[in-house]
Formats: sequence, C-alpha cells, structure tokens
Amino acid sequence: MSETQLRPPPSEVTYFNRPLLKKPHWEWNVITYLFLGGIAGGSGVLAALAQRSGDAPLERSSRYLSLALAGACPALLISHLGRPERFLHMMRIVKLKSPMSLGVWGLVGFSGLAGLNAAAQLARDNVLPAWIARLAPRPITTGMQALFGAFLAGYTGVLLSATAIPLWGKGKYHIPAMSVASAISGACAINAMALCADGNGGPAQHKLEKLEACAALLELGILLHFRTYAGSTGKPMYEGSRGERLRTLTLKGGIAAPLLLNLPSLLGREKNRRPWMLRTLLAGALTLAGGYILRETLIEAGKASADDPAQAFVQPK
Amino acid sequence: MPNGFFTDTTICIGCKACEVACKQWNELPSDGFEFTGMSYDNTVELSGTTWRHVAFVEQVQMDAQGVDDRWSMMSDVCKHCTHAGCLEACPTGAIIRNEFGNVYIQPDVCNGCGYCVVSCPFGVVDVIGSLNAQNSYSLATLREDRREQHETAIQGHGGVAGKCTLCYDRQRAGFVPACAKACPTESIQFGDVEELKERARKRVTTLQERGVDASLYGVDSKSSVGDLNAFFLLTDRPEAYNLPVEPVLPSTRQPASYTSAAITALALVIAGLTIFRSHA
Repeated sequence: MSETQLRPPPSEVTYFNRPLLKKPHWEWNVITYLFLGGIAGGSGVLAALAQRSGDAPLERSSRYLSLALAGACPALLISHLGRPERFLHMMRIVKLKSPMSLGVWGLVGFSGLAGLNAAAQLARDNVLPAWIARLAPRPITTGMQALFGAFLAGYTGVLLSATAIPLWGKGKYHIPAMSVASAISGACAINAMALCADGNGGPAQHKLEKLEACAALLELGILLHFRTYAGSTGKPMYEGSRGERLRTLTLKGGIAAPLLLNLPSLLGREKNRRPWMLRTLLAGALTLAGGYILRETLIEAGKASADDPAQAFVQPK
Repeated sequence: MPNGFFTDTTICIGCKACEVACKQWNELPSDGFEFTGMSYDNTVELSGTTWRHVAFVEQVQMDAQGVDDRWSMMSDVCKHCTHAGCLEACPTGAIIRNEFGNVYIQPDVCNGCGYCVVSCPFGVVDVIGSLNAQNSYSLATLREDRREQHETAIQGHGGVAGKCTLCYDRQRAGFVPACAKACPTESIQFGDVEELKERARKRVTTLQERGVDASLYGVDSKSSVGDLNAFFLLTDRPEAYNLPVEPVLPSTRQPASYTSAAITALALVIAGLTIFRSHA
C-alpha cells in the first residue's frame, strides 16, 4: 500500500467543496437601484442643506434630481422581480425586521415627499400655479425628505449586511457606512454637474466640492479599513480582477482623481473665478462611475463569497 | 409543539426514495439530468425545485494501514428553524409559520424578490426560475382543477421562491409528509418535535454505547437560529455534510448596521451643516 493519499483525511474535507449558501440572483437592475437610490437620498439631504443656507440654484437642482432619480427606482426594482406584477405584494405589510420591506416603504415615503417638494419648486419657478408651493411648507417637508433620504442612502447597506453572505455579514459596520458616504459624494457630484451645466456654479458648487471631499475621504477610509478588517472574508472583494477594478475605478478613479481635480478649488485658489466646467463634469462623472463600481463590486463579490464553502461554515457574527 | 423531522443518517441507505416522493407529491419539475461524476449524488443540492437532497459523503483514504473508507448518506431538507432568517427577511409576508409550526412559503403571495435566498444560513431556499417547456413537465401534465386544489404545487410558471413545505397539504389531511412516508428504513421520522428529540437522544446514547461517534445537529443549539425543527443525527463534523458549524441568524446584525449607517449619516450632515452655514 502506498503512502500517498487519494484524498485529504476526512477531518479536512467538506462536501465535495460544494457551495453551502445560495447566492443572490440580483443583476444590473438591483445594482443600479442601489446606486441611484443612494444618490436620490443624498440629493434629498442636499436640498435641506441648500434651503437652510439659501443656495437657491442648488435647492432647485437637488429637488428635481431627487425626484427624477427616485422615479427610476421602482422601475428597476420591478424589473428584477420574478413576478413583476406582484410588486404590489410588497405593500401588503410593513415589517420592521425586514430591511427589504422597510426600504420599499422608505422609497415610497421619499418619492412622495420628493414629488411634493419638486412640485413646490416648479411653482416657485413659475411653471406651476403659485398656490402649489403652499402645499409644501418648506422647513417641514424638506426636513422630512432629508430624513427619508438619509434612510434611503443607508438602508441598502443594512439590507446587504443582514444576510447570510459571509462578505456582507462581515461588513455589518463598513457596508452601511460606505453606502451612506458614497451616496452623499455621488449626490454632490451629480448636483455640481447640474449646476455647472446650467451655468450656476459658484459658491454652491464650491460647497458641494467640499462636502464631496469629506464624504469621499470617509468612503476611502472605510474601504481601506474593511480590507484589513475583513481578512480572508474580504478576498472576493479586494483580490483578483474584481479587486483590481475596485482599486482602479473606485479608489483611484472615483475618489482620488476627483479629489485631485477639485484640489485647486478646495484650497480656495479659485474662489472668485467661475469653475472650469469641463473639470467639474469630468470629476463628477468619475465619482459617479466609482460609486456604481462600488455597488457592482459589493454584489458580485457577494456572489463569489456565497460560492466559497470555506467561508460559510463559520459565519460572521 | 411544532411538527418536524428527525433524520437519522446512520440508517439512511441512500435510496433517494424521499427525493422521488417529494418531487412527485409536490409536482416539482425536473432539474435536468446531469452526471456529476463526483459520487452517487447527482442532485447536488437543495433548490427551489428540489426539497429533499440525499448527500453521499464518500471519503476514501488510503495509507500504510490500509484503506479506511467511509460512506454515509444524509437526506437534507429545509430545517424549519425556530428563528428563521427567510421568514424574517420576507418583505411580502409570503413566508409564514403555519399552524404546525413550520416555515411555509405562500406561492401566490411571493413576488420573487429573492431576499429570503440570501437570508438562509443553510442555503436552502432558492428562486424557481421561469419554467420552460423542458422543465415544466409536471405542470403541463397537471389537470387544471387539480392544480387549483394543490396548495403546495408551484403556482403558474415559476419566478417565486421555493423550499420544503413539510407537506403542509398532507399534514392538513392528517397524512405524514411524502418523504417520511416513502423512507424504507425510517431514517426520516416525522412527528412532534419534542417527542422526536427524546427519541433522538436515546438513539445517540445507544450508538455511543456501541462506539459510534454520533451527535445531534440542531438540538439544544446555542446558535441564533435556535433549535431546528428538522434536525439530524450525524456521525461526522457538520461540514462533511455541507452544514454550517454555527449558523447565524442574519437579522442579528441589524442593530450594528443601522447604528453604523446612522452615525455616518449624522457625521456627514454635521459636515454639511458646517460647510453650508454661510450665505457667501
């Protein structure tokens, strides 16, 4: 009898190395929803900030953008359902234990408030009759939309981490935090782009760049910390071609490059000059692309994590 | 007390009668005919349309002492957890705990969102894809009137989540679930879970007296999913049967997650208020 073993000793084998968990069947439509829903929520927060500081052009752009983006979300969500016509079944109940249920209601509440506030904005912009503006007493409806917006930006991270997928479970602190940060930086970017394209840059845009820098730096810190914190559980996200993509398009392209592009403005060198439009558009596009890639990486790495039996036997607390 | 299954792997002979009985009774479509080449197991895993799966744990080891083979079979099934991740996650209320204490998916309420799939720490639930001509055999052969009577059959043409119903319809008629009925060795036993646990503990004692390294999986569990209403008697580590050593109820992470999101949002709002303070 030879010394060689045909298979590893029984104490080391799993069941033919088969995956223990089922992976999500979520595709581009759910990824896009996570991305757009976050930006819509972030725009809701920006609208409140703009109203408070009296930045009228930003208030206008953020109100319209939050409604437009929130409007796209139900279509994306419905398109991924196995039974699209049964989307209404989500409305049967409110379940506090289920982030999916709370999220749907959060989206409904946010969309309603965004619609009301956008209608009031249209009235102030003389498109709709003036009395419509009185339907939305600004401090109240804007504040409520900002609250719902913050929820919309963060709950998707909770939704992911409250699952059995090892990578997502390991990220119970990091993933919700990076969702919020990325939603705010994305909202700043798209609003800066809108202001700039509309010829309304200036002080508001300068503030957006500052807030975006804060959010982007926070996101960078969380992403880097999660890499060490997650250890081998983080492999599907940070290693291989997927990790390379995340580093190139999110860390470098989506965070570092826009920070560098906005640096002169951040350092206050351009305070009295109109910002260079191409720079803003480029920085904004890079930030948005980075945000999308972050969501895509999270979902796709989650699938890979579910397929790795070694990770699933001892699940993160 | 809930009804459940006690699956004793030491007397499973791997005949797969449970798989066949389950497919037949529940009118589940075929999953295709694939030859895995890894063992006698060509079913591979539980899925939306496979609610019993017989695992063939084949471990062949050769060394200087000779050949040490072990060949054990285990009929896997939905665990009908005391604290079920799928049930908590379901946003439509399609997944309920029925009057027998079992976790049941109402196919006419499910909308196929797939959140239960990633919320099961055992990888049991899956979404049944759209049924095509190839795999909708059982539905095509089903008479229209019978299809309506049949509560457990997949409704329509897929697109909803599927898993073991613990033969809800049979239990309501006072019958034993199809798999337990078909099992020729009583490896699958059905009944009141407390009674089954008593029986299982005695069986473990007997086996241990005979020198078998037997243990119960899912009984007196310290895991956050609680005790399993479909539990198992194993003779190897759980990993060998593709079971998690310590399943975690996913919703236990929610407080930490919500807190983290709220703190981040608060920090950025404070930053925003500072930056947007001035009218400049």
